Amino acid sequence: MQVPFKYTYHDTFVHRLHPLVKLFHMMLTLLLVIAPMYSFRFLPVLLAWLALSVALWFFAHIEISRFATLIKLLLGTFVFLIVIQGFTYRFGSTVIITLFHWGYGNTNLGALKLEGVVFGMILSLRMLTAAASLPLFVMTTSSAELMTGLRRLRVPKVVTVMIVGALSFTTLIFEMWAYILDAQKLRGFDISRMNIVTRLRKAYVPIVTPLVLLLFRRANDFQIALETRGFGAPGNPTEVEQLVFTLKDAVAVLFFLAVWVLCQALRIRIAASLV
Amino acid sequence: MRRMSEYEIELDDVTFTYADETTALANISLRARTGECVAVLGANGAGKSTLCFLLSGIVPHIFGGGRSGTVSVAGHDPWNNPLHTTARVCGVMLQDPEVQLFNPNVFTEMAFGPSNLQVEREEIIHRIGESLALLHLEGMEKRNPRDLSGGQKQRVALGAVLTMRPRVLVLDEPTSQLDPIGRWEVAEAIRRLKSTQQMTIVLTTHETDDILDLADQVIILDRGRIVLAGSPAQVFSQPEVLAASGVRLPILLDILHNANRLVGKPLALTEQQLRQLDATRVGDEINTMISRGQIEVRSERTPGPVESETNRDFALEADHLTYEYPGNPPVVALRDINLSIRQGEIVGIIGQNGSGKSTLVKSFVGLLRPTRGEVRVNGQDISRVPVGQMSQRVGLVLQNPDYQLFTSSTREEILFGLTNIGVTGSAAEEKLHEVLQWVGLEQELETFPFRMSFGDRRKLAVAATVALDPQVLILDEPTTAQDHRGRYQIAEIGRRFRDEKGRTVLMITHDMDLIARYAERLIVMWDGQVLLDGPTAEVFRQVEVLERTFLHPPIAAQVAHRLHPLGLSSDVIRLEDLLCALGSPV
Repeated sequence: MQVPFKYTYHDTFVHRLHPLVKLFHMMLTLLLVIAPMYSFRFLPVLLAWLALSVALWFFAHIEISRFATLIKLLLGTFVFLIVIQGFTYRFGSTVIITLFHWGYGNTNLGALKLEGVVFGMILSLRMLTAAASLPLFVMTTSSAELMTGLRRLRVPKVVTVMIVGALSFTTLIFEMWAYILDAQKLRGFDISRMNIVTRLRKAYVPIVTPLVLLLFRRANDFQIALETRGFGAPGNPTEVEQLVFTLKDAVAVLFFLAVWVLCQALRIRIAASLV
Repeated sequence: MRRMSEYEIELDDVTFTYADETTALANISLRARTGECVAVLGANGAGKSTLCFLLSGIVPHIFGGGRSGTVSVAGHDPWNNPLHTTARVCGVMLQDPEVQLFNPNVFTEMAFGPSNLQVEREEIIHRIGESLALLHLEGMEKRNPRDLSGGQKQRVALGAVLTMRPRVLVLDEPTSQLDPIGRWEVAEAIRRLKSTQQMTIVLTTHETDDILDLADQVIILDRGRIVLAGSPAQVFSQPEVLAASGVRLPILLDILHNANRLVGKPLALTEQQLRQLDATRVGDEINTMISRGQIEVRSERTPGPVESETNRDFALEADHLTYEYPGNPPVVALRDINLSIRQGEIVGIIGQNGSGKSTLVKSFVGLLRPTRGEVRVNGQDISRVPVGQMSQRVGLVLQNPDYQLFTSSTREEILFGLTNIGVTGSAAEEKLHEVLQWVGLEQELETFPFRMSFGDRRKLAVAATVALDPQVLILDEPTTAQDHRGRYQIAEIGRRFRDEKGRTVLMITHDMDLIARYAERLIVMWDGQVLLDGPTAEVFRQVEVLERTFLHPPIAAQVAHRLHPLGLSSDVIRLEDLLCALGSPV
C-alpha cells in the first residue's frame, strides 16, 4: 500500500513557497469552511476555494491518484454524514422515503429528507475542502522547512519535533500496515477477502496487535536516534535551512487573501438572499 | 582538577544490571587509546549492545538500570551527564539503518546533530561536505534516505554521527543487516575513517573475518564478562576459548590453524601478517606446505548437500515471468524469468538488494501477480488462487517474525494459522506438538512470544509456517541477526523439512557459507534476471561473473580455488570439505 501523503521533492513554485505561506493557506481554508453554509446555493463558494486547492495540487505535480486516495479515505465519512443528516435534519420537509415513524421535535427521524441530504452533501464538501489543504501542505513541505517555519512562529522545539515525528510515524504506519497484511496472508489470514462484519468482529486484532507492538519499539528507537544526536540540548538549534520570504511569497499571500475575501463576500451575499 | 588520561575510553570494574535485574555486564575493565579500534565479539546475549549503550549514555538515560565501577569516555562519564552532552564526545550507530534516519533528505539528516549542538551554520555545511566526501555520498544531498540502498543508508547514518565530530565512535553491528555490497561499502568507510581521523572506534560484530585488518584490540564477551582480550593475533590464537564463547574463528585463520596442526606446529602470525591475510595468501601458504610434502590433498569429503533426482516433478515454475512495480516510469523488477525447481530440491537464491529476489519469492506465494508470464505450483497456474490458500502450497518465512506474532502464547500462534486453513480440534493439537518438537520449542508452549529471544521467535515463525504443511518452504535470510551458535538453526529445520518430508526448500540469503553448506543448487539474480543457475559448486566457480555482481564465493571456496592445480577437487566449497581434503602425508 503506497503511503498516500508522503513528502516528495519536486522543483515547483508550490514547493518553493515559504512554509508559513502554505500554513496561511491552510488557515484561510479552515476559516472558510467553518462559516455557516447549509444550502446548495453555497456550492460556488466551496467549489471556488476547492478549485484553488486542486490547482495548487496540479502545479505541485502531485499525482491525481493521491487526490483520489483522499476522497476514497473520506468516502465512508461522507456517506455516513449524508445518510445521518438526511434522517435527522430538523429543517427539512421534502421527504424522499419514509422507513418508520419516530418523532423528535418537529421532525420524523425515520424519514429521509431532501434538505437533510443536501446539508449532508454540503458538510461533506466542506470537509473535503478542508482536507484538501493539509495533504497539500505535508506533501510539498519538508520536515526541515516545517520545523524552521514553526520555529519562526515561536512554537516550542518539543512541539515542533512532535509534529515532525508524528508525520514520520504516519509514513511508517502505512508501511508497516502493508507488511503485516502480507505477513498474515502468508498464514492463511486474508483480510481483503472478509466481509465488513467479519472484519469488524475479528479481523483487526492480528493486524493491529503487531502494529502497535512494533510502533512502540520504533518509538523507542526514534528516541535513541533523536537523543544520541543532541536533541534536547539547551538553546535553539542552528537554522541550517534558510527560509527567506520573497516577493513571490508575498504575491501568493495576497492572492490567497484576495480569493478568500471574494469567497467570503459571495457567501455573505448568498446568506443574505436566503433570509 | 581532573588528571588528563592517556586513554580515550576507560572502564574500571564495571557491572551493569538492567531494571529487570538482569546483569548484562560484570566486572568489565577496558582501556582504549585515541585512534584505536576495539572489536567486541560474543554470542547473542553476551552484552555487546549493552556495552555500546553504556559508552554512549543510552543506559541509563533511555534504558534504566544500575551500575557499579567507573566509566570514562573522552574524559566524560555518560552516566552522570545528559545524552545530549555525551553526544558531543561519543557518537553511536546501531544495526538497523531504518530506525536512525527520519529527515527528508541526506543533507538535513547530517545537519540534525550539529544543529542541535548549536554549531555555526557555515561549519555545519563544511562538516557535511567533508562527511559526504569521506563516505562517498557526494551528489546525494537532496535524496530521501528512505529511498537509498541499505549500505547507503548506513553510510548516511554514519555521516549523521560524524558531523557532530565525536571523539569516540560506537558501532553496534553496523553491517549485520546489509547485503554484500552494503557490508563492503560500510566496512570501507570505517577503514577510511580509521586511517584519516583520530577517532577511537568501538565496533561490535559477529563477522570476525571483517575485523582482521581493522581492529587494534579484540575483546571476547561471554555472559557479560570479558573472557579474552588482547591484540587480534593474541585473541585469535586461542580458538578453544572462542568456540566456548560462541565466537567463530575467522575462516582464514581456521584454515591456517588446521593446516599448521597437520604439520605439527602452532600458528604464529604477526599483527602485520594478520592484517594482510586474505584467501590468496592463505591459499599460497597451503600451496607451499603441499609442495614441501608437509600436507597432502585427499579425495575424501564430508557428506555435503545431496543433489535431488532429476526425474522428480516440478514444484515451482516461472514461465516468462515479468513483474513491474507501478510508477512513472514503472520499475521492472523481474525480466522474463524462466525457472523450474523440482520437488525435494534445496535451492539457494542470492543477489544484491534490488536484484529481484524478494519480488521472485513474492510471486511464488501469490503476494504479487505477474505483469506478464505465469507462475505454476505443482503444475497449476496460481494467478487466480487467493493468497490465503497459497499458504498451504508455498510457505514463506519472513526475515522479521515480529510482523506476524500477536497472540499471548506459542500455542495460540500455531493454532491461528491452522484455524485459518480449517484444521481444528485434535488434528490441530497433534500438528502443534509435532512442529514445536521439530523446531525445538516444545517447552515453550505457553510462553508469550515476545518474552522469547529473536532467534526463538524466528523458530516459532518457521513452526507456524511448517504447520500449514506447504509443499515448498521459502526461508528469507535465515541467518540474519544470528550468532555463530544459532546461525544455521533455521536452515537445519529447512533441511529436515526436505529430508523427512521430501519437500522443496528455497533460501534467500547473503550468507555464502550457508549456501555452500545447505544448497545443492544456486540461483544468482542480477537486475531482475537470472544470471547463473546450477549446482552450487559450479556456480561458485564462475568467479568473474560473480564479481561483476559484487558477490564472492565463500572464503573456503576461494582458498580451495588456489589449490585446484594441486589436485583439490573443484567441488570443494565448504570449510569442512577443505579441512577434510587436507591431511598429513601417510
